[in-house]
Parts: sequence; C-alpha cells; structure tokens
Amino acid sequence: MSLALFKHTLRRSWILLVIFFGVLTMYMTVVISMYNPEDMAGLIGMIEAFPEGLRIAFGFDALVTDLTAYLASWLYGMLMIGFPMVYSIILGNALVAKMVDNGSFVYLLSTPTPRVKIIVTQGIYALTSLLILFIALFAVGVLSAEAMFPGELNISAFFRLNVTTILVNMVVMMIAFFFSCLFNEARLSLSFGAGIPIAFLLMNMLGGSAPDLKVLSEISIFGFYDPVKLIAENSVWGVNLV
Amino acid sequence: MITVSGMTLTYHSGKGVFDLNFTVPKGAVMGYLGPNGAGKTTTIRALLGFMRPDSGKCSVGNLDCVEQAPEIQKKLGYIPGEISFPEGMSGDEFLAFMSAMRGTKSTERKNLLLEMLELDPRGRIKKFSKGMKQKLGIIAAFMHNPEVLILDEPTSGLDPLMQNRFAELILSEKANGKTILMSSHIFEQVEKMCDSVLIIKDGRIVEQANVQKLKDEQRRIFVLRPGEPDVAAGILKAGGFDMRVEQNGVFEVFVSGEKMDSFVKTAAKFTVLNLSVKQQSLEDIFINYYGKGE
Repeated sequence: MSLALFKHTLRRSWILLVIFFGVLTMYMTVVISMYNPEDMAGLIGMIEAFPEGLRIAFGFDALVTDLTAYLASWLYGMLMIGFPMVYSIILGNALVAKMVDNGSFVYLLSTPTPRVKIIVTQGIYALTSLLILFIALFAVGVLSAEAMFPGELNISAFFRLNVTTILVNMVVMMIAFFFSCLFNEARLSLSFGAGIPIAFLLMNMLGGSAPDLKVLSEISIFGFYDPVKLIAENSVWGVNLV
Repeated sequence: MITVSGMTLTYHSGKGVFDLNFTVPKGAVMGYLGPNGAGKTTTIRALLGFMRPDSGKCSVGNLDCVEQAPEIQKKLGYIPGEISFPEGMSGDEFLAFMSAMRGTKSTERKNLLLEMLELDPRGRIKKFSKGMKQKLGIIAAFMHNPEVLILDEPTSGLDPLMQNRFAELILSEKANGKTILMSSHIFEQVEKMCDSVLIIKDGRIVEQANVQKLKDEQRRIFVLRPGEPDVAAGILKAGGFDMRVEQNGVFEVFVSGEKMDSFVKTAAKFTVLNLSVKQQSLEDIFINYYGKGE
C-alpha cells in the first residue's frame, strides 16, 4: 500500500463520494420523513393492490409496519443497492482501467512502485470509500430517525442491515474493480464491470416476479440479500461473506 | 548499463521488434533513430518493464527489466513519447506527487530545472500548451537525479530556444556520467547530443554507428535554382553528381563529404540564381543507406 498514491486517489475521487453521499442522504431523509405509523395501514392497502410479481420485483415484498422494516423494504430493497452500484462502477473503472486507457498509468509505473502495490492501494481505496459512505449513511439514518421519530428505530437491527448491505456492495465493487484491472481499455472494463452487476440485479428482479424464474434470482448475488428478513432474523448474513 | 540481447516483441498486428541486440555503455549518450512505427517506443516500453518481451532479455544496470522493474525505476528517468498526465492535476501537484511516489525529499533540483526550462508549473495541466507539458515531463524525468535516462522523443513540442536549453541539459548530464538513450526523428538533435546512434527500421536494427562516422558518410542536399537549367544539368551530370529535378525547375543535388569542393567549383561554371542547404531529415539518411529506391 502506497500512502502517496492513496492520498492522490483520495484527492481525485472524494467529490464522487460526496455526490453519492449527498444523493443518498436526501433519499434517506425523505423516506424517513414519509414514515407515518397511522398511514402505514393505508400504504399496505395500496401496495397490496399491485400485482404480486411487481411488488416482489421492486423489493416491497414483505409488508411490515415498524420504522426499521419500513426502511429495509423501501430504502434498502432497491435504492441502497442501485446507487452504490453506480458509484462502484464509476469508481472501479476510474481507479485502474481509465488510467491505463488514457496513458497516465505509465507515470505510476515509472516510479519504484510494484504493480501489485499500486493495485492493492487502489483496491483499498475502493473498499474504504464504500465503507465510509455507509458509515456516514448509517449515521444520517440513525440521527434523522431519532430526530423525527424518537425511539422508533431498532438501531441494532438497522446496524445489521447496513453491515450486510456494505458487504453486498463490496462484492459489486470487487466485480467492477476486477474487470478494471483485467482489461486495458475503459470500454471493455465498463461493459463488464457495469454489465455483470446490472445483469445480477435484473436477474434478481425477474426471479422475484415469477415463480418459474426463481432460479435466476438464486444464481444472482442479490438473491442472497433480503433486507426485510434480515432485520427479523439475523442468521442470513454469513452468506454474504462469500 | 543498458543491455538488450536477442529481444523480440511482437504485437497482434505482426508489428514489433525482432531480435534486437545492443548495449549502451555507462556514461554514453545514444540516439535511437527510426521512422514512425519502426519500433522505437516498443523497445523503450520493454526496457521500462511495461511490456514483456516474447523472447530475449533486456536489462538496465544488471537488473532484469521484467523481474526487477521497481528496482530499476529508482535510478531511472523516463519521458514517455506521448505524455498523458493524471487527470485534474496542476503542474506543481504533479511534481510533488511524483516526488512523493519516489520518496524524493529535496526540491532543490526540481527548482533548478523549473528555472532552467522557464516553466511556471502553477495551473491545471489540462490548460498547458504542448511545450509546457513537454517541459513538465522533462522535469519529472530529471528531478530525482537518475543515473539512467530513457527519453522517448524528448524535444517534441519545444521551441528552438528550449531545444537548445535541453541539449545543454543533456550535455551536462553526460558530463556527470549519466547513461542516456534517446529516441528521435531529427538527425540534427542526435548529431548535437549523442556519441553514437542506433538506427531501426521495421523492427530491426539496420545500423549502429558512431555519430561522427555517420556524419562523414551523410550526403548534403543542395537546393539550387540555375539560370539555364539545361546547361546546368549537363554540367552537373558530367561532374558525376546525383541530382533530381523538381517540377518548378529547382535542382536537388546530393553531395557527399569528399565531393564538396568539386561541387562548389562545378556550380561556379553556370549561373546560380539561388542556393540553399536542405534540412536533413531521417528519410534522407535512409535514402542514403538504401539507395534512392527505398
């Protein structure tokens, strides 16, 4: 791990992190502020009116009424996977493939830094930045929930939910980063690094919407991820370590 | 100091370099000449350990270019042929970053070089002119005082004044015992700075020679506008000179070193309206090597 390179990468990429943090903070506070225990019954009625396949595809499959479960299903069902996925794809590509493609990687190689060290440093930045993103979002979630609905949030379950979501997103980041290292053209790196996670996401949505296609979601990495069940029981999350 | 033995490196397109053998002794300055696509940059990439040769070996200071690249980089300065700097950086940020990556503490040499090349490194690199970028690349390659310098077209984009400044820099580095390999298209530059020269064509070395020797062999090209073309052509042909008549009535006469005197005296026999010496390009040297057909 090269500290000089880490600092350089941080200086180059922190704005991206801040943008995603801003967008997700906005979603998180808006979703929390929309929570209204009395209205939940009405909401459930509305969702039940959707066809079941559609409901499951968008992650609103379990109908629950407390704040933690509400967040798990509305926020973590799709948004907290989708947005960080875009972040992972952009960053993963920028960290290696883009620099190789435009030729500035040459300057890193013309210093006495072994390639492995360069890649490890960039990889550490990729994972650390995701970790920071989620720690910050966890804090935003807890603070805004406590401010708007004191005592309603089950913090330990919410924490567990976040740990799992980080791990899922780290897998996505690793996929994007892997292809970024594998290909020397940003074009290829982007098609694979973005294509595979998006394919997994679509497979999961399709698999959820029709029983015949369930196998699709089972082979998708997101098939293991079930935010709503997670807060109820806490045995599921070991699977995500894979 | 730099040794390449039996190195072959081919691309998918079938281009590349084939069975290269050469050495640059310690303290020597070697020019590396060749037309575009001849394999100069490929050779340099292999020397820096960016690419792995298909067969053969190359080493810098007894360190293998593939296995020990990071070790080599400690004492090597490199200017890429096509410089692209990391995005979104200012000039001084870039230099500070390179120093940090190399673990160089002193900024003395950097400041000296900035002054010598008259570069103000403030501001975004993206907004720099081509010449400024080239200067920045030169400073990045020289500022850690490396023992070996591998320079790929180091003067491209520099104005004539700066090209001279750069030549001074090379000569002072040479006086300090640095080993330098420098690729170029322009014979004049190589002539000024290098002791010996390596000529590559289609991936193969066609000549490795002392610069002085090459200079003696090289023919000058005089561009001459005669008063009466027919008379002049007759006289020149009778004198045994190689010449070419351009469409606008201008003659190009090829004169080797030993025939210089006889050329001047022959030309005195007819009316000369205009006479100049044509800049020697690499192509002309190749013409010299392979005969006019090439």
